[in-house]
This record gives sequence, C-alpha cells and structure tokens, in this order.
Amino acid sequence: MAPVIDIKNITKEFKVLNRREGLAGSIKDLFSRDYKIVKAVDNITMSIGQGEIVGYLGPNGAGKSTTIKMMTGVLEPTSGEILVNGKLPYRNRSKNAQNIGVVFGQRSQLWWALPLVESFKLLKDIYQISDEQYDGMMKLYQSLVDIEPLLHKPVRQMSLGQRTLSDILAAFLHDPKIVFLDEPTIGLDVSMKAKIRTLIHALNKEKNTTVILTTHDMGDVDALCRRIVIIDKGRMLYDNDISHLKGFFGSYRTLKIRVDGDLSKESAVIAKEFPEFKVSADDEWISLLVDEEKSTIMDVFTGLQKKRRISDMQLEEISTEDVIRKIYEEGVK
Amino acid sequence: MKRKGLLFYIKLYCKILSQDLKSKMSYRADFIISTIGMIFTNIAGFVSFWIMFRNFSSINGWGYHEMLFLYGFSLVSLTPAQCFFDNNWSLRNYVYTGDFIKYCFRPINLFFYYQSEVFDVKGLGQLAFGLGTVIYSWIKLGLGFTPLMVLKMTVFLLTASLVMIALQTAAAATCFWINNSFYVLDLAYKFRDYAKYPITIFSPVFRTIFTFIIPIAFISYYPSLVILRPDEVPLLSWLSPVFGIAFFYIAYRIWMFGALKYNGTGS
Amino acid sequence: MKLKKYISLTRAGILESLQFRLSMLVLCAGNLLYLIVIYFLWKAIYASSGQDSVNGMTFHDTLIYLVLATSLFNFMEMYTVWQMGRGIQSGSIVLELLKPMQYKTYMFWSYSGNFVVNFFTTFLPTFIVVCIVTKGAVPLGMNLLYFVIAVVMAVIINYNIDFFVGTICMYTESIWGINIMKQVIVLLLSGATIPIAFFPETIRRIVYYLPFQSIYNAPLTILLNGDPDIKDVAVTLGTQLIWVVVTMVISKLFWKISLPQITVNGG
Repeated sequence: MAPVIDIKNITKEFKVLNRREGLAGSIKDLFSRDYKIVKAVDNITMSIGQGEIVGYLGPNGAGKSTTIKMMTGVLEPTSGEILVNGKLPYRNRSKNAQNIGVVFGQRSQLWWALPLVESFKLLKDIYQISDEQYDGMMKLYQSLVDIEPLLHKPVRQMSLGQRTLSDILAAFLHDPKIVFLDEPTIGLDVSMKAKIRTLIHALNKEKNTTVILTTHDMGDVDALCRRIVIIDKGRMLYDNDISHLKGFFGSYRTLKIRVDGDLSKESAVIAKEFPEFKVSADDEWISLLVDEEKSTIMDVFTGLQKKRRISDMQLEEISTEDVIRKIYEEGVK
Repeated sequence: MKRKGLLFYIKLYCKILSQDLKSKMSYRADFIISTIGMIFTNIAGFVSFWIMFRNFSSINGWGYHEMLFLYGFSLVSLTPAQCFFDNNWSLRNYVYTGDFIKYCFRPINLFFYYQSEVFDVKGLGQLAFGLGTVIYSWIKLGLGFTPLMVLKMTVFLLTASLVMIALQTAAAATCFWINNSFYVLDLAYKFRDYAKYPITIFSPVFRTIFTFIIPIAFISYYPSLVILRPDEVPLLSWLSPVFGIAFFYIAYRIWMFGALKYNGTGS
Repeated sequence: MKLKKYISLTRAGILESLQFRLSMLVLCAGNLLYLIVIYFLWKAIYASSGQDSVNGMTFHDTLIYLVLATSLFNFMEMYTVWQMGRGIQSGSIVLELLKPMQYKTYMFWSYSGNFVVNFFTTFLPTFIVVCIVTKGAVPLGMNLLYFVIAVVMAVIINYNIDFFVGTICMYTESIWGINIMKQVIVLLLSGATIPIAFFPETIRRIVYYLPFQSIYNAPLTILLNGDPDIKDVAVTLGTQLIWVVVTMVISKLFWKISLPQITVNGG
C-alpha cells in the first residue's frame, strides 16, 4: 500500500537574528544586523501508512512543529521531498487542506462566538461535506461522546477540555485521511485526558484515519501510539515500534531494597556480590538496575535475602518516559 | 471535490455573516457603545469641518457644499473597508502570536476566510452619515437627478471603496514582514482624513504621489467629479473604476504573498 | 534607591521599542506626510481667504501649531485604555497588580521609555523640519523652557484622563467604543485638530474651563509666543497645575472605587 505521507531527506533552514545586548547593542542593531542560519529540521526521512497513529516526540524546539507545518503545506522545505496523499503539500495547499485535519493545542480553530453546531455547519459548507456524510458523522460523535450539551454552547464559554474535544471533532468532521494533533492534551485534567485519548483511538479505528500526534505526555503515547518517532535538534533519533524501543535498552527493572545499617557501605558490599548490575544508594533505598536477560528479579532478590535482613522492597518499571529521557540525553547507541 | 466558484463564496459569506450578526446581538452593550463611539467620531468630523468653514468660505475655488459633497462621498466609500475588512486590524496580533496559522488549514481562499470572520456593524452608522451628507449637498448644489446619475454614483462609489480597501489591506499585510506594523496601518487609516480634500491643492509632485502611489485621490476627489462637475471631467475620473480594481488586485496579491510565505513562528 | 526602579523600567521600554526599527521609520514618514498634507491644505485655505492672519494666527502659526500638535499626539499616545481594557478582560491585570508598585505608577513608568524614544524619533525631527520650513517662524528663547514644563504637565494630565477612561473598562467590554469616544473628545476639545483660536467665541469660552485644552493648546500657545508675558505664562502653567492635581485625584479615586470589580470579574 502506498504511504499517505512520504518524506525523503527534508531539511528546513531559518534565518535567525543575532541580537546584541544592552542599550548600546540595541542601537547598533538599528543600523547593522547579523544573521545566522539555523537548521530546524535536518535531513529527516520517514513514511507513514494509512491508519497508523504515530507519536512524534522531542524536547521543546526539536523541530516537531516545523515538520508538521511542512506536512500541512504551511512551510516549504529548504530541500528534500515531501509527498502527502501523493501531492506536494506546499504547492497544493488548498487541495491538501481538504484531506487533512489539524488541531493545534490551545489555539481553537472554531468560530469563537458561535455555538459549536453553527461552527460545524460552516465547516460542512467549507469542506463541501454531503448531508449523508455529515449526519453519519454526527451520529458517530453522539455514540462516542456526550456531544449534546456542547452543541449549543458558544466556544468562548467552553472549558479548555470541552474546547479541545470540540476542536478534535471539528478536525475529523470532513473525514480527512490524516489528522495532525499538536499537544492535544496539554493543560487538561486526568479524566479529560482519558476521555480525549479514548475519542482519538475510537475515531482512528472507525475511520482508519492516520493520526500524527505530537505530545510531551507519555500517557498519550502509551495509550495511543504503536509507532513513535523521536527527533532532537532537527535530527531524527528513533523511528520504530514503541515495544521495540524498550527492547532496545534491554529489559531492565529497578529493584529497591531497604536494610538496617549504613546504606552506602552496604551498597558497596552488594556491588561486589552482583558486579554485573549497577548499584547505587540514597538516604532511603539501595537500588539495583537489573537486566532481566541475565538473571531474574526473583533470583537477585533471593540472593540478597540470604546475606541480610531486608525490611522493605520496591520494584520499578522503566517507563517510556525514562527511555525517551535517556535517548534525549545519550542518543541511541 | 466540487469547484469553488464565486457563487460558493457568496453563499458562504452570507452564512457566516448571518451567524456573526446573531452572536453580535448577544453583546448588546458593546454594540451600543461602539455605535455611539462611531457617531461621536462622525459628529466631531462635522464639527471640525464646520469650524473650518466658519473662518474660510472656500478652499481653492471649492465652496462649502462642494466640500461637503466630497466629505460625504469619502465617508460612503470608506464604509466597505470598515464593514467587511475590519479583521485587517487584528492581523498583526494573529501573526505576532502565531495564531494566524489556524487560517492556513482550510481548503478555501485564505484572504476570503480571514476577512469573512469579522463584520463590523458600526460601519453602517458611518454609511448613514455619509449618505445623508451626500444627499443634503446634492440637493443644495442643485445637481439634478436622473437614473443615469444614480447609476454612475453607485459604480464610482463602489470602485472608490476598493481603493480604501486596497490601502488598508496592503498596509495590514506589512505585518508579514515587519514586527510592529501597527503604525503602518494607523497611517493608512489616517489617510482617510486626507481623502476628502481636492487634489488640486497639492503641488504637481504630491499630486502624482497621491494619485498613483498612495492613491487617496481616488477615494473621493476623482470619482466624485463625475457627478460634481460633469462639464470638466478629467480622464483620470473616468478611469477611476479601472484604478480601483487594479489597486485592489495589487493589494490582494501582496497580502496573499505575505500570507503564503508566513512560516508560523511565534508558536 | 526608589528612583532606580523607575529608571530601569524606562530603560526596558527604550530597549523594547528599539527592537522595531522599521516602525520608527514609518512613524517618521507618517509625520512627514502629514506635514505635507497640512502644509498644502492650509496654504490653499489662506490663499483663498486673501488674508495674512485669521483670528490672530498666520499661516505659519497654524502650520506649526497643527504639525506639532500631531507629533505631540504621537508622543503622548500611550494606548493606556487598550492595555488596561485587555488586561481587565483577560484577567492578566492581576499579575500587574501584584507588582511592588502602584498599578498606575507602574503603567506610567513602563511606558516612559517610549517617551524618550518618541521624543528623538518623532518630536525632535518634526520640530527641526518645521523650523526650517517656516524659516525661523518658531521663536527660540525662554518660551522653549516654559514649553518643556507645559509638555511635562500635559503628559501627566493626558495620562490621568487615559487612566480614568481605562478604568471604565472594568464596567464594559467595549474597549473600542470607550477609547474612540475619549480620543475624539480629547482631540477636538484640546485644539489638536483645529486651533482653539478658530472656535466660535462661546465654545472657546467653555473649552477654556475644561482640562483638555491644557494638553495641546496650552503648551503650543506658549511655544508660539516668542515674547511671553510672564503673567500669561504663569496663568497657563497654573491652570495646568490645577488640572494635574484634579485629574490625578479623580482618576486615583475612581480606580480605588472600581478595584473591587476586578476581584469579582478577573481570573
């Protein structure tokens, strides 16, 4: 099957002004300016198929938004090739827009003063959605969320959560092939986050819509994405299944124990007993980073227990967040 | 996907407009205060005009009622810019904060979509003032009344209004290149105050500038000559519809060019 | 040490407005263009009237008066009403209320940097151009000193009025309407659009009892009089001083009374 998004070696450069400091510097800036070139996106290649949900991750300023803007046709790449639904998005912005939906975090694209249903009707006209399709969509929405109380409320009177929900529904209304969601759960409470994740998941299943999701919230990633792409400083660090990511770093878990006596001395002893694992100690716990491919947690624990009395223990999974932090910090080995 | 012709856009605009008016009704106090503010502005304009003509009976061979006609004509021809293109004033804020990007994702004309969002009702107050002034001075000047004159008046008013729309649109578009473009727009707005004077008061150099570069002479002076002094209509007056359309088209291209190169920074 | 925090606010303001070099250029160009329009307009008016002096003002007097009134306006315009209105509506004013300074004082000083920049970029160039164009019709003597004092008081009166009007925004959402009404009243009654000398006798007498003429008419009349009678100057400055005190007290009082509104609405 042909991919819906096909990106080959795209790069985007920006010209950035170097500002001088202080009053004298500002006056100097009035007369002469000094620019430097920054690569916001640097040689990225990927290909995304119909119906995938892809988590697009990276620290602030990594180039996520710039990539999305290129995929939506707002920005033209400096070099490289990008095809969305088989077309160049920058050249065919209007046509491309017909096949995509976009939600940009806290920036509502709905008519601020109008009740939601009127915004929907305008979108119906703008996207030339047929009556049957519109009614079908509304039925689907009704079955997924309690939409009725929202429909007659002006967008400006909605809570942030309701607004985000409405924006997502609006983005899916014309049944686009691809929906871009830029930090859709930012600033929402736990229950609203869960609601929105369920909704995205259901819409993706129902309509086989490709979803590109940028987020800082690992809850979103764990709940929705099978595939993740990580970029930093414009470069791609990782593009694969989320399960593969964990395997990549081995199957580690952290075993924490509490014993009587001096913890740092004790940890030095344990480090000699288990030279293959990393051992560290803080005020309360001694931690062992156990690679479960070498020995099981139970074996390690039994080994430890033979030599000393353990008063308390904890077991910590390595979360996606830890793995990604590790990638941000060290890169993929 | 069906083709999106003129009819599509007119229908869509009417829908957006009626929705917008409905929601405006919910801000009644704001509407009343804005309208009073608009009336204040117009009254102050007339008072200034009146005070000036108390001291001076004519300007460069233009009498009181002729000047009043020019004034009224300019008020009417400025109305469409005020009513339909008022969102130009917010453009720099949208661009500055990065919110402009939300307009970039729709499969319809960007300029249309952006401008359709705001309809400024209070501009209608200005229209009433302007029409009243034109009619009053028309009668006082004894210009006569034929259907052809009404037709001419309508055509020339509409095309004159395109000039102000063009000025405002081009000025607003500067924000795609300049950080703080408020001053440019404010300057373009102030031109409306100069539009009501006969171009003949200027020296030849500035006459050229105000005709071809900053075309304020086409907002009131040239087009109203067709009605006001039908015996000595210069060629430029007859050409003013052509200029109106040309200026509007240039401004539209500038605006679109800026909007398409907009890169969504600020987010 | 108290002064230092004010000065650092001024400095930050200067730094901020220096970021926008193009807008400064536009402001200069706009002033120049206005100067040109005013020049030709009043030249035509005076030529048509056949008199050298109308209501005690010559062509040069009128020109200097109006051009400097506009550049004073650009210099003094602080957009206080907009800032306060937006702050009140969005609730972000609460952050400013938490600053270890009175809100009114804070607003003034954080804008003061623009005074410095505007003085050098708009007022001074305009002043020099006017001096050259009118070939020394601007008297340069003790009147300059009085003028500076009068301008300082004018700035304060203008700010107090702005602050008073800005406070009204706690009660209504219509910032545009409120602001335009204020602007129209201030500009007309202060003599910024037409010198008060041209007003009819009765209106002129009323206007002299209002605070507005202290903003533009007072400093400009002082400037135009090269051989000032110390008694006249004292009366003008004294009147200004009274208005400084009165507007300050009223605006502070109104703010104090209205402040509880915020804690109800804001957030």
